[in-house]
Amino acid sequence: MPRTLNTIRLAGVLAVPAVLVACGSPAKYQEPGGTSSIVSVGEVDAQDLSMAANQILSEMIATGVLKSAAHQPARIRIERFVNDTSSNFPVDVVILKMREQLVNSGQAQVVTAYGSNPESKESQDALKQQAFREGKASVDSLDPDFFLTGKVEQLKRSAGSTKQANYYFSLTLTDARTGREVFTKLAEVQKQGTKNSVGF
Amino acid sequence: MRSNTTLAGRVLLTTALLVLPVVGCGTVNTTTTRQAPSEDQVSTRTQVNDLFTQIFLKATDVRMYPTKGGPLQTQVDVANDGFRTRSFSYKFEWLDARGNVIPSSIYTWKATSVPAGGSIMISSVAPSEAATDFKLQLRRGQ
Repeated sequence: MPRTLNTIRLAGVLAVPAVLVACGSPAKYQEPGGTSSIVSVGEVDAQDLSMAANQILSEMIATGVLKSAAHQPARIRIERFVNDTSSNFPVDVVILKMREQLVNSGQAQVVTAYGSNPESKESQDALKQQAFREGKASVDSLDPDFFLTGKVEQLKRSAGSTKQANYYFSLTLTDARTGREVFTKLAEVQKQGTKNSVGF
Repeated sequence: MRSNTTLAGRVLLTTALLVLPVVGCGTVNTTTTRQAPSEDQVSTRTQVNDLFTQIFLKATDVRMYPTKGGPLQTQVDVANDGFRTRSFSYKFEWLDARGNVIPSSIYTWKATSVPAGGSIMISSVAPSEAATDFKLQLRRGQ
């Protein structure tokens, strides 16, 4: 009888971890930025970047500012995009999402032969050689219509255990000929809660 | 007979007093100068898979018009007929004239909420001028 009791106890002890293991959430693939994504109160999440890029790009397309460029498709030179938040995230993703849409749909061209991006090095060298041979001070394809600059800022507040974070993604297009701002958009993301969660 | 009527009246009054604050709490009263439907209103078709959401959250007005830049823009009014604020997520995708989805990196799920009795406008701009129609997916917030 005691042996039976011990067996039952052992089975019970083994069953608890087994149930805990079974209740865990196994890793699986998700739709990027989908409604099952993790939502962090005090951090910028992947879906926040998508939402910001969507808002800014939609406004840019709707205003038709790119169609006012001297060159068609409009030539854009990407300048600084500053992350002025306490969250560590790849800020270039916002720009890349917009670039992908604008460039691949033929609405704009990004002047890649500029700056310190790895993609720029080869084209910079080639263009410099060409300009030298032709006796030009600058190369035509380095003549952009717009400069693109951006910044991400945050505002954090809390009430009791509830935290709230606002992230402001601002993006500005400046006319390269006049130096005047021709487009600006502030995309805002607000998140509130006591702890991080899965899904929204 | 009279006592029955009085009792029924009291029950009705008590019920009203209990229900009214629930209905009134956080609900929205809306005033507009617009009497006629928008000139850019378009007809839509909805496939209902979540009846609960469909009962309370309704797309009351759908408008579509060309933007200054060329591509179409849509505005959808979503009304909340329920008694509490409702959160939901939505995603727009745009279709070309042949009905194919125009690929875009900026289609994304967005989350928002609408107060009881109120409505909000959700909007989307087509990624290119090839877009002629859109598809809107709407689901309850988690």
